Amino acid sequence: MSGIHPPDPPFSETTERLRRAVDTQVLYNIFHQEAFGFNIAMYFYLTGLSAGSFILSTLAYGFGMNQYKAIGRVGIVLATLLLVIAPFFLLIHIGMPHRAWHLFVYLNMSSPITWGSFLLVLYPINCIIYGYFMFKENMKLTRIFGFIGIPLAISVHGYTGFILAFGKARALWNTALMPILFLASAIVSGIALMILVVWIKDRFFSRSKKIDLELLTNLGKLLAWMIVFDLFLVGSDLLVLVISHSDAQAAAHLILGGRFSIMFLLIENLLGKIIPFILLVVPRFRTLTTMIIASILVVVGIFFMRYVVVAAGEFIPLL
Amino acid sequence: MNNQHKRLAVLIDLRKCIGCNACSLACKSENDVPLGVWRSWVKRVEKGHYPHPGEFFLPILCNNCENPICVTVCPVNAGIKRPDGIVYIDPHRCIGCRYCMASCPYGVRYINPRKKIAEKCYWCHHRVDAGLEPACVEACPTDAILFGDLNDPESKISKAVAENAVQVIKPESGTEPYTFYIGLDIESVEAKQAEENGK
Repeated sequence: MSGIHPPDPPFSETTERLRRAVDTQVLYNIFHQEAFGFNIAMYFYLTGLSAGSFILSTLAYGFGMNQYKAIGRVGIVLATLLLVIAPFFLLIHIGMPHRAWHLFVYLNMSSPITWGSFLLVLYPINCIIYGYFMFKENMKLTRIFGFIGIPLAISVHGYTGFILAFGKARALWNTALMPILFLASAIVSGIALMILVVWIKDRFFSRSKKIDLELLTNLGKLLAWMIVFDLFLVGSDLLVLVISHSDAQAAAHLILGGRFSIMFLLIENLLGKIIPFILLVVPRFRTLTTMIIASILVVVGIFFMRYVVVAAGEFIPLL
Repeated sequence: MNNQHKRLAVLIDLRKCIGCNACSLACKSENDVPLGVWRSWVKRVEKGHYPHPGEFFLPILCNNCENPICVTVCPVNAGIKRPDGIVYIDPHRCIGCRYCMASCPYGVRYINPRKKIAEKCYWCHHRVDAGLEPACVEACPTDAILFGDLNDPESKISKAVAENAVQVIKPESGTEPYTFYIGLDIESVEAKQAEENGK
């Protein structure tokens, strides 16, 4: 201690406790390493993209919306590939990857991870069957497996929301909105990725090099309105956090004015949602280039959304 | 009250705690806790300014909750709650997914840097089963830590819990913690002021 007055903590005021009777300084405390981190955020991101792509691919092959027929095959290939990659981030994350089989033997039905270990097996298998029949042009079976796949796709991403929501010590995670928030952002990122992949496919890999502008415009409209829904959910979550108990207020201040404010406000919401929305809905801006830019912004923005939720949620120490 | 089972509990009298860290050290050596991680430690908080300062200690250890969220969320049933209330981790079953660490409201769990599995304080159940007290209780020079069976009305801890105003950390989390404190200061359980002491 250098002076009489304790030095101001470098940590920003906004995440300090909100009511304080006297000046307090923590002289000694132990903080253990963070529980989740980049790997888990990446895993959430990839399952979200996968679920979003799958749901898009069922628009034509399940619900018969023929204007989306061109993305059916792209969607299912993406959904399968992304979901094959995603669990590797879990294997990197866990300390004992060679014990991963425990997940299928020692079941604890109250744990979302146990639900997820089965979903992570069933969903890709269903994706492969659905994709097989789609490429075999068997429309009846494609439709059936598409409809089986929709609840699976919703669950395989929705359960990750429950993983965080069950972390009841963390105010940012412990909300019933978390699964639906995750699903909304999954669909947003799925549509954006689809626009990019369809564009790349048409631009560089198709024989005619002709870009299906009508399809991309339809996808762009869909994306814009899903962004509105996502923003609504993020807004509701924030409003309640700001009003709620002290831990929740601290979490809200952390993402609104603290260390994560640039990532949350600027990258995730302004660059990742509001600007793409404007680019997509204002007729003057609506060109192919702006649509591609908007999609890139959304895909990047949703990654930051995953990262902010995971990292900011466990940033504030518990004791 | 159900008297068939023991319900073990810890009571820490913070008025007696002198912040000597004997409990943390005893715990480290008893349980072979690696460098950098702690099963129990003494948080130290300073309030006010000269000439009216106050210094408070908060020995932190696992609460061995009645309703442990870590056991609820463990995907492989590695977290086990014994009938006497001790919550421990089966080291052969844990896969190190860290979900228990993410969900524990007290931050008492860590990943063992060598074994890569989750570990925490379990009130030295190997000593308790042998009829001894946990290492921290035995090491405390001021007898600030009491350990015993709350279901036995004649035990020292039952009497102390009855006679004193006791408090637990974060009762609102619904985990029903069984590490009780006498003289717990509100500032020492507040967590918002992070990082200044760093990792």
